[in-house]
Amino acid sequence: MDSSLNNPSLGEFNEKDRKELQQFFENQQQKAKFQDNVHSLTSMCWTKCIAANKISGPQVDRSEASCLENCVNRFIDAQKAVISQLEKIGSQ
Amino acid sequence: MQTVQQQQNVENARILIDKINKNCFAKCVPKPGSILSSGETTCLTNCMQKYMNAWNIVSGAYIYRIKNDPSSN
Repeated sequence: MDSSLNNPSLGEFNEKDRKELQQFFENQQQKAKFQDNVHSLTSMCWTKCIAANKISGPQVDRSEASCLENCVNRFIDAQKAVISQLEKIGSQ
Repeated sequence: MQTVQQQQNVENARILIDKINKNCFAKCVPKPGSILSSGETTCLTNCMQKYMNAWNIVSGAYIYRIKNDPSSN
């Protein structure tokens, strides 16, 4: 995406338009990253919270929903714990 | 810009369909027979809706977490 922003043809845009375009692409990239994260979280938490249950209808039930929410939060906690451990090792 | 947004939506839907196929096939068709039975078809229909339901719950929980704890993004 950065390389396309450095594309010489973008030089034809004025400063204001270039900034606007850059902002637009940054937002889109952030959105794409967010959606990717939701896809991988859903797939992973589906396996942990729902895959073993019998599918009796189209709705996620209460206990499954709370499992999904816990799954998202504990995954982020785990991610942060791993990163902080790595930082500790790195600073030794 | 609209084209970019549209492409992103299409890509998002494509990934969702792919994940639904994988997860619901695993769940509803554990032992593939010579035809897709009506029970398996019903399971797939429910599973599809349930998966999208789960997607929305995960998305909501993730947004809530990022809002309240920006460092987790």
